[in-house]
Amino acid sequence: MSPAVLIAVAIVLPPLLRIIYTSVHGPALSLTSYAEVVKSNLFRETLRTTFIIAGSASVLSLLLGFIVALHLARQPAQRRTALMVLVLLPFWTSILVKCFAFTIILGRDGIINSLLSWIFDTRIQLPLVLNRIGTLVGMTNYLIPLIVLPVLASLLAIDSTIYRAASIMGAKPARIFWTVTVPMSLPGVFAGLLSIFVMSLGTFIIPALLGGRRDQMLSNLVDFYNRQVLDWAKASSISIVLFGIAAAFIIPLILWRRRKA
Amino acid sequence: MSDDPVLGSRIAHTIALKGISKMFGSVTALHATDLSVEKGEFLTLLGPSGSGKTTLLNLIAGAIGPTTGAILLDGRDITTMPPRERGIGMVFQNYALMPHMTVFENVAYPLRVRREPAKTIQVKVTAALDRVGLRGFGDRKPRQLSGGQQQRVGIARCIVYSPAIIMMDEPLGALDKNLREQMQGEIKRLHRELGTTVIYVTHDQEEALNMSDRICLMNGGQIAQLGTPDELYFRPRSRFVAEFIGESNLFSGRMNSDGRIVIAEAQLIAGPDNRWTEGTEVLVMVRPERVKIGHADGFAKGHTNVLNGEVTSTSFIGGMTRVTVKADNGLNISAKMVSGHAETRPELGARVRLCWSSSDVVVVGN
Repeated sequence: MSPAVLIAVAIVLPPLLRIIYTSVHGPALSLTSYAEVVKSNLFRETLRTTFIIAGSASVLSLLLGFIVALHLARQPAQRRTALMVLVLLPFWTSILVKCFAFTIILGRDGIINSLLSWIFDTRIQLPLVLNRIGTLVGMTNYLIPLIVLPVLASLLAIDSTIYRAASIMGAKPARIFWTVTVPMSLPGVFAGLLSIFVMSLGTFIIPALLGGRRDQMLSNLVDFYNRQVLDWAKASSISIVLFGIAAAFIIPLILWRRRKA
Repeated sequence: MSDDPVLGSRIAHTIALKGISKMFGSVTALHATDLSVEKGEFLTLLGPSGSGKTTLLNLIAGAIGPTTGAILLDGRDITTMPPRERGIGMVFQNYALMPHMTVFENVAYPLRVRREPAKTIQVKVTAALDRVGLRGFGDRKPRQLSGGQQQRVGIARCIVYSPAIIMMDEPLGALDKNLREQMQGEIKRLHRELGTTVIYVTHDQEEALNMSDRICLMNGGQIAQLGTPDELYFRPRSRFVAEFIGESNLFSGRMNSDGRIVIAEAQLIAGPDNRWTEGTEVLVMVRPERVKIGHADGFAKGHTNVLNGEVTSTSFIGGMTRVTVKADNGLNISAKMVSGHAETRPELGARVRLCWSSSDVVVVGN
């Protein structure tokens, strides 16, 4: 094992073992809390919400991020580097700061509603935050830089003479896009999509600050059992289930990447 | 003209460039150039890198637009037409195959673009793969093929839609020497069988000499000389052409009254050439393989252009051996002789006698 792996293991493993221990150590050493979690309607519904939000946010981020990556790929190298900084800027900003910024932008009397009110000269208060829209805006904003990078890498890996060849053979831009660009960027798209999906499974702050009651995800449920119910065994067992789900998605991706390399 | 009912282009096409030029910013990549390629002709654009041959190719393909001039395909102006409408085919140095498609799908691509029926596609792709010797390779992916096979796919993909003009941009540049020579033969055969007009770009003069009907030798953004391989080799019109194609001994001299050329006290006898008047400074060329080399007391009388000298270097380059001689009059002359065993080669410092016939003295220019 390399030093980096050793450090990671040393930092991650003890707290993880501690959580596993807590999850089975209720009144007695048992799997009761897992059984209760699985049976609970709240857990089932939250799990469903988690998948729906993570899935739709990932797909939305992919669609928007693909357009950004496509534009970046067509720029000269120097200009591309400058534009990359713009893409990464929100990535370097604290997620808390961004969430508060979105409440100001999307709020009942926020920038967007004020602007619409002024344009239509009437009071408009579209519900853009503390609901699914707010959650998805926050999630997409968080995920786009993470999907742009792998997609851009796979777009840049496409040999430009293939585009020239297709064009000389008579293909129009739309056909070139669907027969060359899309299929050849698919590996990057697939890997990127899976990794942002897994990342968004564990989102906590965004649904907590920008979502409503119906947008709470598994991390928020962990927080709920931890701080409101004070049932640490259940909180831990939900964490472990979430960890297992994430692993179930990420391990095939790692294996696939290793096989490709 | 064409013996292939499926792939043969019934009519070969002509392309003509009228005063075409290209500036990149303030840099002139191509000076105003006229060039016409005849029906079914194999024309090679030859030249060192930066000579303008790739610019010329890209202008014809439509990848870039000219600064001045017009491009005519069969007399029709295509100067501003986008590449996809020109009906031109191109073979690339790095093959430019679609890695995610099979060989069949790659070759079928231009036909699918043209919305040809599936049955026609099947027939034409099979015929094209047959032509390039890749029958049965349709289901493979390009990465499962060797470089030579990939370029055959590139050629099949080009001939399959019978383009008006086929352009080849250093198509054999990525292959090793033996394979390159074999592929040269195959491209020539395909050209003969299909009768298509081909514009071929290379920086390899042997490739150009071997394959072309005509060679357009480029230098510094303009045509240095346009002619058949024989014309360029035996009748170069400038120092650049004489030096770029083959090896050459070049001498500066002056015409005297009886048609001889005086060089450094020696007299060279050239073939009859009435382009130059007495006293003109001229540049003359003798190809090393035309220089005979013999013993210092050799060569019977009747030989012209006889010089004595001393061997300063020999190099064995396979079939030929190059011998450099410093003649007694100060000229350095390179001669090429058919190689024999080491003991038959002249030794360094040996006295030798050189001679060449007056018909081998070519006046390049003045």
